[in-house]
Amino acid sequence: MENSSLTIEKPMKSDALHEAPISAADEQIIQDLLPRKFTKSGWVWTGILMAICLVGAFAYYRQLRYGLVVTHMRDYVSWGIYISNFVFFVAISLVGSLITAVFRLAGVKWGAPLTRIAEMIAVAAIIFASIIIIVDMGSPERFYNLFLYGRIQSPIIWDVIVIATYFVISLLLLYYPLLPDIKILLGFKERSGARLYKFYSFLGSFWKGSHKQYLLSKKAINVLCIAIIPVAFTIHTVTSWLFATTYRPGWDSTNFGAYFIAGAFLVGAGSVVVAMYVFRRWYHLEKYITLNHFDKMGRMLVLLSLLYLYFNVNEFLTPFFKMKESESAYLKDLFTGSFAPVFWFAILTGIILPIIILVFKQGRRPLPMFIVGIMVVVGAWFKRYLIVTPTLLHPFLPMHDVPAMYRRYFPSWEEWAITMGSLAGAILIITLLCRIFPIIPIQETITERHHETTV
Amino acid sequence: MKLLYKLSAGSIFFLLLLSGYNAFSQTADKGTLSIGLNYFVNNNQVQYLTAKVKTKVNGKFQNVGGIALKLFLNKDSAGNLIGKVVTNEQGEATSMIPAGMSKLWKASVKHTFLASFYGDKKFDAATGDLTVGRAKILIDAGSDKTVTASVFEMKDTSWAPVKGVDVVLAVRRLNADLPINEKPTFTTDSTGKASGDFKRDSIPGDAKGNITLVAKIVDNDQYGNLSIEKKVPWGAKFVPVNLFNERTLFATRAKAPIWLILMATSIIIAVWGVLIMLVLNLFRIRKLAKEA
Repeated sequence: MENSSLTIEKPMKSDALHEAPISAADEQIIQDLLPRKFTKSGWVWTGILMAICLVGAFAYYRQLRYGLVVTHMRDYVSWGIYISNFVFFVAISLVGSLITAVFRLAGVKWGAPLTRIAEMIAVAAIIFASIIIIVDMGSPERFYNLFLYGRIQSPIIWDVIVIATYFVISLLLLYYPLLPDIKILLGFKERSGARLYKFYSFLGSFWKGSHKQYLLSKKAINVLCIAIIPVAFTIHTVTSWLFATTYRPGWDSTNFGAYFIAGAFLVGAGSVVVAMYVFRRWYHLEKYITLNHFDKMGRMLVLLSLLYLYFNVNEFLTPFFKMKESESAYLKDLFTGSFAPVFWFAILTGIILPIIILVFKQGRRPLPMFIVGIMVVVGAWFKRYLIVTPTLLHPFLPMHDVPAMYRRYFPSWEEWAITMGSLAGAILIITLLCRIFPIIPIQETITERHHETTV
Repeated sequence: MKLLYKLSAGSIFFLLLLSGYNAFSQTADKGTLSIGLNYFVNNNQVQYLTAKVKTKVNGKFQNVGGIALKLFLNKDSAGNLIGKVVTNEQGEATSMIPAGMSKLWKASVKHTFLASFYGDKKFDAATGDLTVGRAKILIDAGSDKTVTASVFEMKDTSWAPVKGVDVVLAVRRLNADLPINEKPTFTTDSTGKASGDFKRDSIPGDAKGNITLVAKIVDNDQYGNLSIEKKVPWGAKFVPVNLFNERTLFATRAKAPIWLILMATSIIIAVWGVLIMLVLNLFRIRKLAKEA
């Protein structure tokens, strides 16, 4: 132990805290969960992510210099891979509300070690959702006009407002539960280094763990947990309305809000499973992220996959049954045409196979769960691509006298580079947050253990 | 050697066969065109001709586009040329009758229009003609809402009323003409007049209640197509409802519906109020540390 004056907050019957010297068991928890410096492989990982981000930044420089003409978006597909990626990020960010808020309000104790992971993913995703929407703009320097002249009647403005709100809530929901942990981190100055110590001091040196502070913090977290749920539902519903309020085949649906939210919960849970496996293996957190966590997350993934499958059936079966003339080209292209391989890949990989694998107990072990998590996330990304592109290629009123290339869409290398850069950027933020902050809430884990021993 | 002879003879036979096939193909028949003409005069002023070109394919008539026609008045000569036209995708072409031909027009009470096609790679030469007598139509609207059309034809040097001509009396609407009552046509009497009662009282007119009455002769064998219009204040005043400057979901930012502004603003204030309170809460926690 580096700081002999270190104390932790122990729970009392009144749910308040009192400070006590740390026990050997607590000390072990702290040592296990303190953020660790990057090893060689950690630096390589970070370097790879930064390199991908730099390629993306270069591609964006080219887009700024030459304009959106460097993309393959034209009159038909004016929302390409960028908007698909935006929807994907918004979807993933919803996990913060699911794991943190829903679990906390429902009194689900086993989810406590996963809350920080979920919040980190949510913050990283919402940051890049905001960035990618600006990337999609031809003249980002005019972004401020959206606030000066934006129409409150437009779902785009609603989305801007909701994303900003959700970002602040996610940040606060990450920050508030961090305060007791920062107090612990400040006790390890030599281990964290001068710069990080300064940063920790800036963030939370005022946290003394007093009863009054604890009560204020607890109240704030409860308010945040309640507030984030409607905002999270709104963010993804409004994102779905960007499409559903437009009269186009595939988007003209009243099912879209619920369909998007179900999909978002699924991809969010999938991303948490992937992160759980990686952190558990990388940082040897087997004691904290147990097989039980994988089992329960597996069951939840089955439920969410079934829910999303139900909405998919709703979304496609009824128009398929009617096969209206105006929508038939779009549906045929999706089911048996040029988009069929991607469509069936997304449905099978992202929804059906996860259900089949996770129904069995063996499928809910860490490695199969990790693979399923990857399948869900990759399938979800392609699903977003399918929501945007095929519809734009099949408008109700086809354009006349456009070059043949306008009727097809495959992203340019700049679009791919920027998209990959944004995905790498989000993972980089998660990586850096894990380097700076504990992946699993230390104080909460100790408190839980004390609760268990006293009970 | 025998084989060589056989091969040579076979090759020559095959080449002859090919050339023969080619020669037969050169004599393929050209299509035959049918040219129809129609004469129109609106308000006794604007005169024009329309030509419709068709051909028979597998026993069915099909419109032919891209056919160059020359239109003449009375005879196929340079001095009588009305104009040169080319048919469109529907096989139709239109030409105004130039004002310079008025002298020629007034010289006779009957005229024949000619359309000539001089042939091309696909179609043989063809002609079409139409003979019409000089006629005019007048319209009158009585105070008792009676519409009267008068039809006259040129006889020698004066206009004479024409009996037994079918006239349509109608109101001009956006896409078609609406008969003034349930009767589709009215026939002129010995004075050349045909009358009908206007029974479309509630029909919307312009802002002043004006509607346009029309009297027309349609596809008449002797006179072609004649029409004349007259504006009367018999319609209901129509004040268009323009939502352009109203508060609607599709209006400009400044014209957003009040309910939407109130709802959005109250939600934003409520949510951001909570968020600001939570940020201020951090300062309270910080203050508590100082007090401790």
